[in-house]
Amino acid sequence: MKKILYILSSIFILQSSIAQINTNLIVSATPPSSLLQWSTSRETLIYMVQSAQGIQGQYKIKTEIKLSDGTVVGKTDLARSLTYTLSSANTIYNANDVIPMQYMVFNGKYKTALEKTGKLPADNYEICVQLVRPPDYVPFSEIKCKSFYLASTQLPILVKPANEEALNYDQAKTTITFRWTPVVPKPKALVTYKIMVFEVLENQNPVQAMRSNMPILSQEVKGVTQYIWQPQGIISANEKFANDSTKRKKDGYVGHVTLIKLRTINPANSDSAFKDADIEETSSAYVWTIQSLDNLGQPIGDGNVNGNGVSEPTVFFVRGKVKDIKHDPGTMRKVKE
Amino acid sequence: MKHLLFCFLSLTTLVLTAQDKKPKVEVSGTMGVTYEGYGLNRNPTGWTGFAQRKPWNQVRFTFQPTITTPKWSLPFNFNFNTTPTNVIGPYANIGKQNIGQYITNPSNNFAFNPKYKWAELQLGTQYLNYSNLSTGDVGVFGAGVDLRPNVWRIKFFTGVSQQGINFFSGGPGGSYKRNNWMAQLGMEKEDKYALLFNFAKGKDDIGSVTTPPPGILPQEGFTMSVVGKANFKGGWYFTTEGAQSIYTKDLTLPVSPTSLSQKPFLEGNTSTIKDFAAEGGIGRKSKNFDIGAKVKYLGAGFQTVGYPFMQPDRIDYTLNTRFNAFKNKTNVTASIGQRVNNVSSTALKAKQFIGNLNWFSQINDHWSVNINYNNFGFQSNSGLNPYGIKNVSNDFGVSPTYTWSNTKMVHLLSLSYNYSKYDERDVITGLTTSNNTHTALLTYVPSYLTKDLTPDFSVMYFLNKLPGFKTTLVTLSTGLALPAMKKKVQLRGQLQYTFSKNNTFTANNNFIASCNVDAKLSKKLTWTNYLSTNYFKYGNEILPNGANYLESNIRTGLMYRFGK
Repeated sequence: MKKILYILSSIFILQSSIAQINTNLIVSATPPSSLLQWSTSRETLIYMVQSAQGIQGQYKIKTEIKLSDGTVVGKTDLARSLTYTLSSANTIYNANDVIPMQYMVFNGKYKTALEKTGKLPADNYEICVQLVRPPDYVPFSEIKCKSFYLASTQLPILVKPANEEALNYDQAKTTITFRWTPVVPKPKALVTYKIMVFEVLENQNPVQAMRSNMPILSQEVKGVTQYIWQPQGIISANEKFANDSTKRKKDGYVGHVTLIKLRTINPANSDSAFKDADIEETSSAYVWTIQSLDNLGQPIGDGNVNGNGVSEPTVFFVRGKVKDIKHDPGTMRKVKE
Repeated sequence: MKHLLFCFLSLTTLVLTAQDKKPKVEVSGTMGVTYEGYGLNRNPTGWTGFAQRKPWNQVRFTFQPTITTPKWSLPFNFNFNTTPTNVIGPYANIGKQNIGQYITNPSNNFAFNPKYKWAELQLGTQYLNYSNLSTGDVGVFGAGVDLRPNVWRIKFFTGVSQQGINFFSGGPGGSYKRNNWMAQLGMEKEDKYALLFNFAKGKDDIGSVTTPPPGILPQEGFTMSVVGKANFKGGWYFTTEGAQSIYTKDLTLPVSPTSLSQKPFLEGNTSTIKDFAAEGGIGRKSKNFDIGAKVKYLGAGFQTVGYPFMQPDRIDYTLNTRFNAFKNKTNVTASIGQRVNNVSSTALKAKQFIGNLNWFSQINDHWSVNINYNNFGFQSNSGLNPYGIKNVSNDFGVSPTYTWSNTKMVHLLSLSYNYSKYDERDVITGLTTSNNTHTALLTYVPSYLTKDLTPDFSVMYFLNKLPGFKTTLVTLSTGLALPAMKKKVQLRGQLQYTFSKNNTFTANNNFIASCNVDAKLSKKLTWTNYLSTNYFKYGNEILPNGANYLESNIRTGLMYRFGK
């Protein structure tokens, strides 16, 4: 009889405690896929604990992450997780406290995915949070659950001009069309794409140029994946030199980027009347990239590689006009000066 | 800056003295100084619709002599400027730099690589490219060696790739100081075989800044890779590389019993991830026929400090070929391939198809024609949207060229036409919109056989149409190059006028004039000059109506060539 009374009174006390502890869970519906970034973007997850006057005790935060069918993919290891003391004031917790990665245990392929990428696979999930009393982990508050969708943001991939594509100067000096793939998955708000083009100067490699030069084009466009640029004299093909990536790779280093005069002899001409004609071309190199920004002007990215929303850059060349073609009218061979 | 200039002049004197007094010492290479000035005048006053595109003033120095003695080779590679212009990366918006920041700023290079037989000492800023998956895009200021005894390869380099930069509002974004080291061990015989093991490490120094940069986390990464290459008889070749990276995304986070580590190189914490990447290629090269296949896989968590912009989680595979036919009068290059992004996510996998074809034929002594076709498709699953993304681009171009001559001139007339169709599907409505572009370019280049004049003329028509929007451009341009002062001066001038019109707005007008004057002051000293002006006047498509700007560029530089 005493036992029954004890159990009943415990349940009553617990229920009245639960009733007097208010918790509130706010989770972004589409948070970053990288769980690390949940901690850095504090607004991603907010868990508030508020207790009535006079309620005392210690608690742990029990968190479960489930699939939409209820399968638990990760939960807090309560034996190792931190213990908090209830305070009469409002206490606000963030992802660091609710999903402490050092105390979380994930299962199977979710564990593998986290170890490889720091992200959970793209899917619909539910997060449930509840305060529990140590040491027996009986509930100390109501359980609060929120659903969210995880998707790894994919920054634009530069399409046109393609990497190491050579553009004709006569055409490029009027317009160059840039195309890229959109941010995937498509955010609800319109994405702003900032397209940037940098001239690769002599003795520079493309990434160095991007990190050190002022862009000759820095243009924001909203929601579209194409931009037609009128360079208006800012590009040239008169440099006589260009980065020769073939040689650079062969030499195995780019510290002394070897600059050579591009000298193109079309192999198809080898048996033609132009057999020994020197067709000399000049060329300049440019590197371009896209920075993706959300509707608040903040860089889009999942903190994986390019936290600043900058896509992997590509290089294009602007080939100059054929120069100094001087042929002997009889042999059609180049006249030596 | 003064110290640098002093060093620059001292080294110049040393080099020139060496050149004069020791005939066994050969000096080659160049040195020079270039000034660039930029001007922008926008009207009406206060209108900011066109942004500055170059620094107002910039002075660039280059000092690249190579001193060669019978036993030693001493190449210098100094390139530096007076004004930082960084916009991407930790040095963006940097104002006054300290000496460490100046030296490690990617704008500047100070490198000295003395070489004795097979041993090279690497000092200063080096952009070392060990392999495609380990390190190659990052400049590190430090010291190291590159030893190549016989077939052996032993390389090591250590230094700083970026300095600690304090964050302050309105100024630079800030960065932690990053220390790097890299090493390569293996054996290689040029154009025969290679077996190389690469290691690359970078670690941020948390204590290097007093005001940590917001949003930037101190990180640490270690990558190791193995490269194999082999060339066989008959032009067959095979290349491969496999790599594993381990990367800590936030060094401030705690360690847990399950944290991944790669001791002794990296001790991980709860933000440490580990993944791998691989690439390979096989093919055959010959005089008239090439064929090759390449594949590259980057795991979703593959991240290396040596390639900071490399996008992971993808697989690319391409097949390419080149061949000559019809007595080498036809040359064809073609490639076909696919790139899959978000490989790790079955829900959001995005596929790109890429196909290129370029066909050149020399039909006879007068006619040649070039035809090219590019197809690009991008498709991803829908995710939360009703429809997935589907973009398809088809570009087709044909360029016939006609050449004829007489006793005085050779004429070249070339017409180039390109049609581009770019379809995009709206992920909400599922409707596809087409973006069509026509480009036609006619070029005429007469070459005088008896005169030194080289004029050229071209006219270009461009039309871009998409639902509700139409852009038309017409460009006329001409150029003229000629020598002067007994061919000691080369003059080149160019004029360009562009008429552009968007929808029913009144037309924009653009006029560009530029000229180059290159003078050979002596056998070794060249003075190059470039001047250009760009005037653009808008129609009524923007407010205020009639807005216009005048942009001007000037570049003047002296270049001295060492050696004979």
